[in-house]
Amino acid sequence: MPKAGSRSAAAVWTILRKECRSEWRTRYGLNAALLFAVASLTAVSFAAGRLSDRTDLLAALFWIVLLFATLTSMSHAFVREMEARTMLLLRLVASPTEIATGKLLFNLLFLAVVEAVTVPLFLILTGAPPVRWGTFLGILGLGTVSLAASSTLVGAVIAQTRGRGALFAGVSLPLLLPVLAAAVGGTRDMWASNPVDGSLRLLASYAVALLAASLLLYDHLWED
Amino acid sequence: MVLRVLLFVWIAVAMTVSLLRAPLVPVLEETTRVLYFHIPAAWLTVVALGWSMIHSILYLAKRDLRHDDHASAAAELGLLFCVGATVSGALWAKSMWGSYWNWDPRETSIFFLLLLYTAYLALRGSIEDEEKRARLSAIYSVAAFVAVPFLIFVVPRMYETLHPDPIINPRGKVDMDPMIRWCFLAMLVGFTGLYVWLQALRVRVSRLERAAQAA
Repeated sequence: MPKAGSRSAAAVWTILRKECRSEWRTRYGLNAALLFAVASLTAVSFAAGRLSDRTDLLAALFWIVLLFATLTSMSHAFVREMEARTMLLLRLVASPTEIATGKLLFNLLFLAVVEAVTVPLFLILTGAPPVRWGTFLGILGLGTVSLAASSTLVGAVIAQTRGRGALFAGVSLPLLLPVLAAAVGGTRDMWASNPVDGSLRLLASYAVALLAASLLLYDHLWED
Repeated sequence: MVLRVLLFVWIAVAMTVSLLRAPLVPVLEETTRVLYFHIPAAWLTVVALGWSMIHSILYLAKRDLRHDDHASAAAELGLLFCVGATVSGALWAKSMWGSYWNWDPRETSIFFLLLLYTAYLALRGSIEDEEKRARLSAIYSVAAFVAVPFLIFVVPRMYETLHPDPIINPRGKVDMDPMIRWCFLAMLVGFTGLYVWLQALRVRVSRLERAAQAA
């Protein structure tokens, strides 16, 4: 069993490196996502000004910006494969679960890079009050895992349909509503110095449940 | 044939008695009557969702397209009942709390179900190949199965809600006047019968369509 396990891990690692490398070649997806995040952040900041005292609004706007950035950029992982017609080759060398796990890790990394730019910009532009970094990073991290898990699964499903862009956002939203509710609530509580245990627990259990379900489902995704 | 006539008579009688003769509940007063329609509709939304999800899982396990027929029929009917529950709930909210929509946790739950049904049907609409459509929508259904308990049970319990809880209360007992209870149960049975009949009809239509296409 150990050999199969390490072979799987090697396959996942290879796919992750391949994704990073092909993304880095053009940086198209990354540029688009960063541009979109900054654009929506600019729109929010320009329209609303400084919101130092409205931590409820700040929490909501923060997660809306992140959600929009996710919905516009996350579908590309699988769509790019379908368009370049490299999907078949990929399936010859790795199992569906390995492919999906590799792409999930890539999506996580992608979102982390986008957030590394967006979060400081958001905090500065909106004049947000001081952040409890441990709690904030906990909520951000768990929320990002759920966003990535959901986007990878829905992206894999959508890549095989005619719908693509608009359908991806519409189909992802029901799966992401629990994340949004818990993340916005948690961020708001963090700023109000209220306990965030409930939100963190919800985010963690949802991320785990979604990941578990996705891992079971990936085998059924490609069958022709 | 007999069963259908019986169902019609049953619902007609139940509705007439509920609306005209059943007593009113203290806080709700005249708006009590909504519970004879709104709660069965909401109940069936959840039943249809469960039925759809069970058949999605069965399809993934057995690859029999009949399970897909059940899953899609249940989703369509579930959407119908969900719209009914949402609209009746909004009308009741207007008369009781003064505004149609407030993102009260219960309202959020039913809206979430509405979004889920719509997304599922939109996904189905975008795939032409029958087998691929069945498989991909079944996958989405199972993924949604994970999200549903969180938004239906966990989130509403986390926040305070104004939504009345005459049935599920802390003491765990059914706390209704007997006449109301009987009328309510009669409406529930009637609605469930209606759903079963519509589901059977819809599945038969799907099978006939498939047989016609194969021929």
